[in-house]
Amino acid sequence: MSSNPFDSDEDQGTASGEILEGFLCPICRADLKSIDVLTDHFARKHAEEEDTLKSVFNIFVKAKKKILNNFEDERNGAAAGSSSSSTAAGASSSANGNGADQRVLSNARSRFNVFNYMSKQQVGAECSHFEYFQSVRNPRLERYASETNKLIIRLHRLLKDLPTDSVQRKQHEQQTVAWLDGTSVKLCPSCAKSFHIARRQHHCRLCGGIMCNDCSKFLALENALQLASLSTSRSEPMQHMHQGDSAIRLCEHCLWLLDTRRDMHESRTCRPLLVQVYEQIRQLQKDVTPDLDMYLKIINSLHEGETIFTIADASALRGKIGQVAEAMDMRSKRILAIYCEPGSREESLKKAIRLSCIQAIKERMLSLPPLPNEAHIQQIQERKRMETEQRILTEQRMAMEAYERYGLGATTIQSGGGLESGTFAQGSDLQSINNWSAPQASTSTSKSSLDDPLIEQINIIKGYIKQARQDMNFEVVETLELNLRELQREVYERQRKSQNSAAASPEVEQQQS
Amino acid sequence: MNLISGIKLYIEKMCAESGPGMKIILLDKETTSIISMAFSQSDMLQREVYLFERLDSGRSNERLKYLKCIVFIRPTKQNIQLLANELRNPKYSAYYIYFSNIIPRTDIKYLAECDESESVREVKELYADYLCVNPNLFSLNMPNCMANLNWLPDALTRSMQGITAVLLSLKLNPVIRYRAGSQAAQLLAKMIYEQITKDSTLFDFRSNMDGSAPPLLLVLDRRDDPVTPLLHQWTYQAMVHELLQIKNNRVDLSDRPNVPKDFKELVLSGDQDEFYGTNMYANYGEIGATIKTLMEEFQRKANDQKKVESIADMKNFIESYPQFKKMSGTVQKHLCIIGELSGLSNKRNLFEVSELEQEIACKAEHSAQLQRIKKLIADERVTIEDALKLVALYALRYERHANCDTSSLLQIIKSRGGRAQIVPALIEYAGNHVRQGDLFNMVRITDAVKLTRNLIKGLKGVENVFTQHTPLLKETLEDIFKGRELDPVFPAINSELVPFRRPPQELVVFIIGGATYEEALAVHQLNNSGYKIILGGTTIHNSQSFINEVLTATNGIQFKHTKSMIKYCSTDNI
Repeated sequence: MSSNPFDSDEDQGTASGEILEGFLCPICRADLKSIDVLTDHFARKHAEEEDTLKSVFNIFVKAKKKILNNFEDERNGAAAGSSSSSTAAGASSSANGNGADQRVLSNARSRFNVFNYMSKQQVGAECSHFEYFQSVRNPRLERYASETNKLIIRLHRLLKDLPTDSVQRKQHEQQTVAWLDGTSVKLCPSCAKSFHIARRQHHCRLCGGIMCNDCSKFLALENALQLASLSTSRSEPMQHMHQGDSAIRLCEHCLWLLDTRRDMHESRTCRPLLVQVYEQIRQLQKDVTPDLDMYLKIINSLHEGETIFTIADASALRGKIGQVAEAMDMRSKRILAIYCEPGSREESLKKAIRLSCIQAIKERMLSLPPLPNEAHIQQIQERKRMETEQRILTEQRMAMEAYERYGLGATTIQSGGGLESGTFAQGSDLQSINNWSAPQASTSTSKSSLDDPLIEQINIIKGYIKQARQDMNFEVVETLELNLRELQREVYERQRKSQNSAAASPEVEQQQS
Repeated sequence: MNLISGIKLYIEKMCAESGPGMKIILLDKETTSIISMAFSQSDMLQREVYLFERLDSGRSNERLKYLKCIVFIRPTKQNIQLLANELRNPKYSAYYIYFSNIIPRTDIKYLAECDESESVREVKELYADYLCVNPNLFSLNMPNCMANLNWLPDALTRSMQGITAVLLSLKLNPVIRYRAGSQAAQLLAKMIYEQITKDSTLFDFRSNMDGSAPPLLLVLDRRDDPVTPLLHQWTYQAMVHELLQIKNNRVDLSDRPNVPKDFKELVLSGDQDEFYGTNMYANYGEIGATIKTLMEEFQRKANDQKKVESIADMKNFIESYPQFKKMSGTVQKHLCIIGELSGLSNKRNLFEVSELEQEIACKAEHSAQLQRIKKLIADERVTIEDALKLVALYALRYERHANCDTSSLLQIIKSRGGRAQIVPALIEYAGNHVRQGDLFNMVRITDAVKLTRNLIKGLKGVENVFTQHTPLLKETLEDIFKGRELDPVFPAINSELVPFRRPPQELVVFIIGGATYEEALAVHQLNNSGYKIILGGTTIHNSQSFINEVLTATNGIQFKHTKSMIKYCSTDNI
C-alpha cells in the first residue's frame, strides 16, 4: 500500500536518531500544530534562508500531496488510462469541473446530435457548485487526513516490535504514545460517569486519551496490521504470541478516523467478480460496434452492386458478430449466476444488467439485415454492368450525332482523332472495370509489364487485401480495394498509351519515309 | 425550443459526466416523474444506469461500493437532509449530485461538511425541473394551485421554480408580461422577475447581441378562459386525456372491463411511440383511418409471417421478428385505446353533446340552445357530468343575458342528483366580473377589426361542427406575433427590456390554473407556421380535473356574484 505515509517519515526518523512528530519546522524543529501556522512561521522566521525555504517548501508540498492525495492520484491515473480508450463523454468525469470539462462536453454534445437526431438544441444552462463544495470540504478532510496519518504512523511504531510480555508491552505502548495523566480526571470524558474501583481509567493507545471501559473501542490486531501496512506474513509469529488480547484499545474518535480511512480505501479498490465480468461485457460491446457499422456498410455496398466486398466477407463478419453476441450472452448469464441474497438490490442489479445485455444483443445484433442471396447480388451486379455499358453506348451515340451534326462542315483530322481517342478511352475504362481482377492476362503488352513496378505494386496490394480479409479488417480492405482500382486504371492507361504510340509510330515512320 | 430534448440533454449529461461503470440513480418523487417523461427504463439501461432508488422512501441499507451514484433531486429542505444522511454514511463509491433548481449556498456548505469520506465528485445545478409532456408543452403536476381564489404558497414557489427552470434550460432571458387584473399572475411574474435579478449571472445569455427582440414570458390566468377545459375534445391526445386521463404520459386502464392484461397501464410517449408521436394531434376520424391502414399493413405482415414453409422463411421470420413484435405491440395498444374511446363516445352520446357544447361556445342563439340543453340533460344516456358541463357552459355564456334561465337548468341537474353547486362556483371562479378579453366574441360595434373578422368567419362557414371552437389563447398569441400593442392588457414587469414594437422571437406562455391539450394543439399549429412557442401550466386539465380545481379554489369563500343561484350553492359559500 503506497498510500502509507510512513515510508517517507522513516528516513527522517532514523537520520535524527530521535523521533518527532507533528508539523515540524525543518530548521528549528519546533512543532507548529498545523500546516498554516507552519508555513507562516517558516515565511517569517526563516525568510533569509530563501533557497532552503524554497526547496524545503517544495518537499513539503510534495509530501503533502503524497499523503493527502494518493487516492486521488490513483483515481486520476486510472481515469487517464480509461479516457484515452473510452469515449469522450467518459473522460469528462475525470476532469473535475474545470476548463477541460467544457471542451470534452462540447464533443459529447456533437455526438448526441449525430446519433439521437435531436434538433440543434444546446444543453441548457448549468451552474456548478463543486468548487465551493471542495473549498468547504477539503480543509476538513485535510485535517482528518493529517490526523489519521499521524495515527497510522503511531500504529506502525506500536506494532513494529510489540513485546510479547504484557508488562513490557504496556511500557512499549507508553513509550510510543505518552498517556495522559489521569490523576485529575474524575469523570469519563465521553460518558461523564465518575471513575472508581469498579470503573477504572483506560487509555487510548493512539492518542493517550482517557476513557472508561464501556467507552473503549477495540481494533483487531489483524486490521491494525493491515492499516499500518505491515504485511501479515512478517508479523505472523507476533500474532501467534498475542492471541490472548489481540486487539488494541482505542477511543471512539481514533477508531472512527481509522475506519473512515479503511472504508475509503476499500471503496476505491473494491472490484468484485461482478465488476470484472461486467467490464468484459462492456469491452465486448465496445469492440463490436465498428463491426456492426461495417457490416451494414458491406451489405449496402453489395446491394448497390459494387464489387469491393464479397458475400463471403459479409458472412464472415456476421459470424464474428454472432460470436461476440454469444460471448456477451454467456457472460451476462455468468453475472446472474453469482451468488447474492435473494431480494437484495444486488440481485435486481444483476437482473438489470442481464436485461440490458439481452436488449443490446436483440436490438443491435440480431436485427441486422440478413445476408443477401448470391444469385440476387450477381443479378444486381450484372444489371449495373449493363447499365454502365448502356450509358456508354448512348454517350457514344450522342457524341457521334453531335459530331455528324456540327462537325461535318469543318472536320479536321485532329478533331476526328480526338473523338476517336475519347471513345477509345471510355472503352478501355469499361474494360478496366470489367476485368480488374485479371489485369495481367489482358494483352500482348503483359509480358513486358511483368517487371513493371505498378504491376508489382498491384500484386503486393492484393496480398495485403487477402491478409486483411483474413483478419476481418474490412476498413483496410475497402481502402486497399480502392487503391488497387486506381492502380489498375493507371496500368491500363499506360498500356493503351503504349499501344497507341506503338500504333502511331509506324505511321509516323511511314510518313517520314 | 424543444422541452423534451432539453430534459434529455440534461440527463445525458448526468450519465456522461459520471464516466463508465455501473450506476445507480437516486431520485425523489418529482424527479422520478421528470425523468420518466423523457426516458424509458431501457434508455437508462443503455446508459449503464441499472438501478433506480428513491431518496425519500423504501431505502435498503445494502452497501454496493462498486456502484457510482447519480443523485438527481429537487433542492428541498427535506431532500437536503436525506442526502446529508446518505453522505455521512455512503453506500456507493462516488456521488455525482445534481439539483434540479437553484440551491442556496448554505445548503451546499452543509452537504460539504457531511461528506467526510470524500465521495462526492460533482455538485451541479441542472435545470430539469418541469415535466415535459410534448416538445412544446410542460406541466408542473399541481392539480390544485389555489385556495380562496389566491395562490397556495407552495404552488406559487413551485411555479416560479418551474418557469425559471424552463427559461434556464432554453437559455432565455425574457421580457415578463402578465395578465393585468389577475393578482395571481402579477404575483408570479414579480417573483420570477426577482429570481432573475437575484441570479442575474445565470441569466446572462447575451442573446440580444444580434439585435433581435428578446424572448417573452407571458403569465396568464385560467380564469380568463374557463370554456376551453370544459369542452369535449376530438384530437387524439386531448380525447384520451378527457375520457381516460393521461398522467405522466401513462394511461391507466386497470378498472376498465375487457382490457387485456398487458394493457392495464399504457405508456403514451410521442418520443418512443412513433404512431402516437405523429398522430397525437390528429382528430378522431383521421385516427380511425390511420389505424385501419396500420392494421392492414400489420395483417399483411402477419400473413407473411404465417407461411413459414422453408428454412429460408423461418430465417426471415426470426430476423424480422424484433420489428414485427414491436409493431404488433403498437398496433394492439392503439387499437385498445381507440376501442375504449369509441365505446365511451357512443355510450355517452358524446357526438350530440359535443356538437351542442361547441354551439354554445361559438354562437349566440339563446332560446334555441336553451331548448336543446333542456332536452339533452334530461336524456338518460347523457351522463350527469356531461349534463353539468352543458349547464356550466350555458351559465358562463348567458350570465348577463336578460332571459338567463340557469336556475331551471340547475333544478333539472339537482333532480338527477348532480352536484349543482359546481355551476355557481364556476361563475365565482371565472364569471364575467373576473374575465378580461372577449371570450365569447361579444363584439362591440366600435371594434371594426373584430367585427370584420367575425364577419369573415361567419361567411366561411364551419368546417367541422365538433372543432369550431378555438381557444382564446390562440387569438392572444396571434396578436402578440402580429406586434399589436400589449401594454394595457399585458403589462411588462421589466419594461427596460421591452423592444419597440417588435414581436418576440420566442414565447413562453404559462397558464396559472392549468393548460389544456386543446391549447397545446393551437400552439402546435402556430409553431408549424414558424413561431417558437412553449406552453406550460400548473397542470394539464381535462374537464373533471378542472371542475375539481374550481371547487377547491372557491372552497370556503363567500359568493357575491351568484345571488340568483343561492339555493344551489354549497352551504359554506353563503
